[in-house]
Amino acid sequence: MTVEELAAAVLDACDSEGVDHMVTGAFATSVYGIPRSTKDVDIVLSLGRGDAISRVALRLEPIVEFKPQVQFDTLTWGRRLVGVARQSPPLKVELFELFDDPFVLAQFQRKRKLFSKQIGRNTWLPTPEDVVVQKLRWGRSKDLDDARDGAAREQHQH
Amino acid sequence: MANIHDDPAALKALQDDIYRERILRARRMTVEQRLAEVFELSNRVMARMHEGAMWQLGTTDAEVGWQEVRRRLDRLDRIHDEGRFVNTKPVPT
Repeated sequence: MTVEELAAAVLDACDSEGVDHMVTGAFATSVYGIPRSTKDVDIVLSLGRGDAISRVALRLEPIVEFKPQVQFDTLTWGRRLVGVARQSPPLKVELFELFDDPFVLAQFQRKRKLFSKQIGRNTWLPTPEDVVVQKLRWGRSKDLDDARDGAAREQHQH
Repeated sequence: MANIHDDPAALKALQDDIYRERILRARRMTVEQRLAEVFELSNRVMARMHEGAMWQLGTTDAEVGWQEVRRRLDRLDRIHDEGRFVNTKPVPT
C-alpha cells in the first residue's frame, strides 16, 4: 500500500462517516513549504455527532490497526487515536479531534479545498498562514523549521 | 583540498546556498507538484528502509524485511511517545 492509497482510504472513511476533516502534518507543511517524506497520514476531524474518531477508526479497521486507547496530546490537537497500516509498509495514521481552542477552530473553518491527482479526490488543507502560526505555537525544533520553510517559500508571492 | 568544516564562514555560506536552492525549487513547483513529491519521497523512503533492513538481516524474504521495519518504527514511536527522544543538545549541568 502506498502513502497515497492509505491517505485516500482515510479520506474515504471520513466522507463515509460524514465527518469534516483537514489534512495536516507533513502533507500540509510540504504543500506550502519544502516537500519532505513522511510515514504518517495525519487528519484533523471535526467535532460532529457522536464520537467522530471512533467512527472513522471503525471504518478503517480492516486496513489499520488502531491502539485501543485514545490519547490526549497536550501540545498539538487534543484527542488523538494512532494506528498502523496492517499491510506493509507500516505507515501510521493519526486521527486528531478538534478541541475548543479559538485559533484551532478558526483554522479549521478557514481550510482550503485541494484536488490531488494521486489521491484522486478533493481534500482539505489549512491555509499557509495558519500552518505557519500553528507551527510557531507548537514551537518544537522541527515545527520551527517547518514555519521557516513555509514563510520563505511563500514570501515571493506577496 | 581544504576541508570546508574547518572554515565556519565558508560552511555557513554553503549551507545558505543549499537552503536557498531548496526554497527556489519549491517556489517553482505548483501546490499539486509539491503534494505529489511528498507521496513520492515517502514511498521511496519506505522502500529504502525495507531494502536496508533486508540487507542488514541478510535475508531475501521481503516479509521478514517489513517485519523488521515495523519493529524499528514501533520502537521509534515508543521512544518519542515516552519523551525520551530529543534532537537538541542537553543543557550542561
